[in-house]
Amino acid sequence: MTYQLGWSVIPQILVRRERWPGGYKTKGIPLVHPGQDVLPDQPVLRLEKNEPVEAIETVPIPRLSLPGVIDTLTYPDHSSRNGDVSLNRLHADETLPAGLRGRVVDITRRGSVIIESCAAVLQGAIGAGNQVAGVLTMWQAPDAGRGQQAIPPGALLVIPGPLNFAMLRQAMISGVVGVIASSISSRDFEGFLRTDLIELIDSVDVELAQAHLPQMTVLLTEGLGTIAMPARTMNLLSHYQGSIALLSGATSVRQGIFPELVISLPAKEVQQNWHPVRPDPILTLGAQVRVCSGDHEGAIGSIDYLYSHEQVFPSGIRARAARLRLEDGSMLTIPLTLVERIS
Amino acid sequence: MNTQPNTEGGQRQSPASSSNLNPSVANSLLVADCGTVFTKVSLLGLVEGQYRLMARGEAPTTIAPPHEDITRGIIQAINVIEFITGRHFVSEGRIISPEQPVGDGVDVFIATISAGGPIRLVVLGAVDAAMEGLVGQAASGLYAETHALPSPSFVVTSVPNLVSVGAGSTSVSRGAGGAWTPERVALEWERQIERIRELQPHAALIVGVADGPAGPAPLQEACQLLVSAAKELNEQHGAGVSAGVAPNDVASRQIAVLYAAAPEYVEAVRGMLQGVAEVTRVESLVSQTQIGPTSIAVGGLYDRDVMRHIPGYAHLHGWSSSAPVATATSLSSLVRFLAQHYAMNVMAVDIGGATTTLMLAGERGEFIPKVNTGMGVGPAVGAILQKVGIQRIARWLPFDISEEESRQYVLNRMLHPHVVPTNQRDLQISQAFAREALILTVEAVKQSNFEWLDADLILATGGVLSHAPKFGQVALMLLDALQPRGVTSLVLDRTMLISQLGAVATVAPVAAVQVNENDAVTHRLGTCVIPFGTMPRGELAIRVDLEYTNGRQLTVDVMGGSIEVIPLRTNEQALLSLFPAPTVDVGLGPGERARAAEEIDGGLVGLIIDARGRPLDLPGDEKERQARLLQWMQAIGA
Repeated sequence: MTYQLGWSVIPQILVRRERWPGGYKTKGIPLVHPGQDVLPDQPVLRLEKNEPVEAIETVPIPRLSLPGVIDTLTYPDHSSRNGDVSLNRLHADETLPAGLRGRVVDITRRGSVIIESCAAVLQGAIGAGNQVAGVLTMWQAPDAGRGQQAIPPGALLVIPGPLNFAMLRQAMISGVVGVIASSISSRDFEGFLRTDLIELIDSVDVELAQAHLPQMTVLLTEGLGTIAMPARTMNLLSHYQGSIALLSGATSVRQGIFPELVISLPAKEVQQNWHPVRPDPILTLGAQVRVCSGDHEGAIGSIDYLYSHEQVFPSGIRARAARLRLEDGSMLTIPLTLVERIS
Repeated sequence: MNTQPNTEGGQRQSPASSSNLNPSVANSLLVADCGTVFTKVSLLGLVEGQYRLMARGEAPTTIAPPHEDITRGIIQAINVIEFITGRHFVSEGRIISPEQPVGDGVDVFIATISAGGPIRLVVLGAVDAAMEGLVGQAASGLYAETHALPSPSFVVTSVPNLVSVGAGSTSVSRGAGGAWTPERVALEWERQIERIRELQPHAALIVGVADGPAGPAPLQEACQLLVSAAKELNEQHGAGVSAGVAPNDVASRQIAVLYAAAPEYVEAVRGMLQGVAEVTRVESLVSQTQIGPTSIAVGGLYDRDVMRHIPGYAHLHGWSSSAPVATATSLSSLVRFLAQHYAMNVMAVDIGGATTTLMLAGERGEFIPKVNTGMGVGPAVGAILQKVGIQRIARWLPFDISEEESRQYVLNRMLHPHVVPTNQRDLQISQAFAREALILTVEAVKQSNFEWLDADLILATGGVLSHAPKFGQVALMLLDALQPRGVTSLVLDRTMLISQLGAVATVAPVAAVQVNENDAVTHRLGTCVIPFGTMPRGELAIRVDLEYTNGRQLTVDVMGGSIEVIPLRTNEQALLSLFPAPTVDVGLGPGERARAAEEIDGGLVGLIIDARGRPLDLPGDEKERQARLLQWMQAIGA
C-alpha cells in the first residue's frame, strides 16, 4: 500500500479538507465565509440533518410523449408511475465545529466548508465511519490506584495497541465519537460494525456505505490482526493529546479512500517551527519502512540494502527485494512489494 | 461479442507524438502493459535479424494518489530495463525516440491498459433474461460491468419470466412480493434510484421493443429513472464543488445513454432526456445478430469515459503515435491470430488483480471472449470469496483453513494488492483463489449462449500464473480450473507479453509474430492427455505408449483418480498411442484407441496424463481430500 500522501505519519503538511459529516440528504448552512480564520472548536456549519419518516412523496418529472402510444399497462396509482419518488425526511438542526485551525478557503454547493490548515496527518490502513471532530484523549489501562479512567463524551480515543470488540463497545457506550488504535481482528471489527468488511471496503458509493455503520468512527493505523502501534505513531498522538482533531474512517479500495486523522498544529508551533514535508514514497536506502504483510507484518525498519537481482523467498517466488535493519537491530530480506515507506 | 474495437487501428497520430518513424522498420520497441496492480514494460529489439524480448521491468501501477499519473509507474518499470541494459529510454519525463546511434531510446512505444476499472453500465427498459444474456454477450469482451434494472412495468407484466433486478440484488424476487400496490411501485422506484446511486454508472443502455404487454412503458420508465437518477448523481457529483462556481461551469456527471430499443421511440426518448443525458442510437438489440453494434458502442464509451480519464493518460498518449489499447482487445487479437495461424482452437487465460480474462478462438473463426471484471486475485479477490464462499476456496488447499484466516487473507490482499506470497501457505491460498477466478470465468462463459470449444492449446498469463515458482503448479491450476478433455497443450507466458502482442501487431506485425514465437510462448509446460468417462479410482483408466525419437519405447498404465507425468522434456518428441479402458474416452468415443499422426512435443513438466475424471470430483472427507491433493501435487511437481 502506498499512502495517499506518501507516508503514514506526516508531522507537518499543508492540507485542505472539506468539513462534512457525510450523507446525501443533508444540507449544510455555512456559518463562516471564505478567507475567515477558524479555530478547531469554532462552529462552522449548521446541518439540516434528515431523518427518515414514513411518508412518500412524488416529485413530478417531464412526461414522455410517444407518438401513437396506447397505454396497455394499468398501474394501481398513476402518480407513482409518473413520479420520481423520494422519501420525505424531517430536519433537525445541529452545528459542527471546524475540527481544524486554519483558514476557510471555499464553501461547497452542499454547504460544506473547505479549510486549509497546517497540520500533522496520520493515515490509517483501514477504518470505518464518517468524519468526526473531537479531543484526542489517550486511553489508560485501569490500574488499582487510579481506577477506571473517565472518558469525556465526544472524545477521539487513542488506544495504543490492538483493540477488541468489548473495547469498542465500551467506547461507544461512553459517548466517544472516534477511536484510533493499532489493529483489531477482522471478526471483532465486523462484529462491531455489524457489516461485512469485504463488502464495505469494496463499495463504490462510500457515503452510502458509511451511512449504515455505528455512530463511532474507527481508524486502525496498522490494520487487521494484533499488531502494536509503532512508537513513531504513538509519539505523534501523545504529543497532541488534548488537541482537537478531525478523524475520518471511510475506506474504499475501489475509490482509493483511506482513513486519516488530521491534527492542526498549534499556532505557536506553526510560527516557530514550520517545516512542511513533501513525502516521497520511493523506496531508497535509509528510508523508514513498515512491513505490510506476511510473517513479519508490522515490523518497522530502515532500508539497509537494495538488491540488484531478484531474491528467492520460502514460497519459491522470486522478487526484487530489500534488506531491512529492523528496530531490534536484526536484518530481514523481504520483497519490495511488502514494504511501505512511512517516513 | 466483439472485444473493444481498436477504431484507430493503432495508427492515430497524436499531436504530441514523439515518434514518427515507420513502425514496420523499427529496430526497437518498448511495450507497456498497465494493469490494475502492476505495470509491465518489455523492450523488444532486433537480434541477428529477429525481433526478440531483450529485457523487461515491472513496477506498481501509479494511477492512485500520491502519484496519480500512469506514466510514473511506466517510467519506474523502464528504469529497471535501463538498469539491465545500460541504455537510457527516458529523458525529462518523455520517451527518447527514435533510437539514437548510441543505443539510447526506442523507435516505437506501445501501451495497453487494463487499469482504471471497468465501465459501469446499467441496462434499463424491457430487460428479461434473454435480453440480459444478449447484453452480457455484447459486453463480454470488454472491461464492462452490466447491471440490469428492468422497469417496474416490465416486471409487472412479464411475471413469471422475470429477471432479478440488479446484479447481486435480491429485493425484487421472481413473482414474489404480492400485488404491485402503489406503495410497492413507489418503493421500487426509490430502490432503483438507490441502486443507481450505489453503482454510480458511467452509462446506461436502454433496450426492449415496444410490442410486449407493457408497450412502450418500459422505455418511458427508463427515461424517468434516468431523469431522477441524473438529478441525484449531479447533486452528489457537484456537492463538493465550490458554491462560488456557477452551476453551468460545474462539470456535470452526465450519464451517457445508448439507445438500442424500439427505433420509433428514439426521438421521443431524446426529447425526454434532453439536458439530462446524451443519447446515442445503436441498432436495436433483439437477437444475437445485433450484438456487434452494441458491443462497439460500449467499447467506444469505455475508451472515452474510462480510459481517457485515467490520470496521466494524455501524457502517455503523447509518447506514441498509436493510441493506448485496452489489454483485453490486444489479447483477443493475438488469440484469434494464433487460432488461424496454427489452425487449431486456442484458449488464452489471464488472471489479473481485478479481472480474469478468458479468450477462446476456433480454427474456423469462432470466438468466445470473456472479460470477467471484478474477479481477480488482487483488489478484486474479495469478490471471489463473496461469490463462492470459503468451502470452494478451501477445497484446493492441502491443509485446514478457518474462515477467519481466509477473510484475513482477502482483506489483506485487498488493502495491499502488491504483496507477493513469501511462504508456502500464502502461495497455496493465492493459487486456490486463482483456480476459483478461472472457474467462475468458465462458468460465466458457459452460462452465456456461447458454444464451448475444446482447446488444443491453452496459453496462460497473469502474475499469479507467470510468477508461480513451479511449472507444475501452473499446470495443476489450469487442469483443475479449466478441466479440459481429450488432448491439449499447456503453454505459460512467463514474460507476460502475450496480452500486449495484439497491440504490437497493429503497429509492427513482424515483431509481434517473431517475439511471440521466440520468447512469449517458449515456456511450453507439456502435452496433456485427459481421458474422461467412467474411471473407477484405482482401476486402469488408460495405457499410454510412447515411442521417443531415439527409438526408446515406454508403456505406462495410468489408474483412475490419478495424475501421471511421463518424462518428455522440452525439445523432445515422441509418438503417442493411447489405449483407454472400454468406458474411457480420449475424444474418439469410449474405448477407442488413438495414435497421434505426428510426434507430440515435450515440455517443462512433461507428458501429463490427468486421469482424475471429468468433472473433477474431490473427496468429501477432509483428510482424504488433502491427501489426494498432496498426491497430485507431488505427481505433477507442484
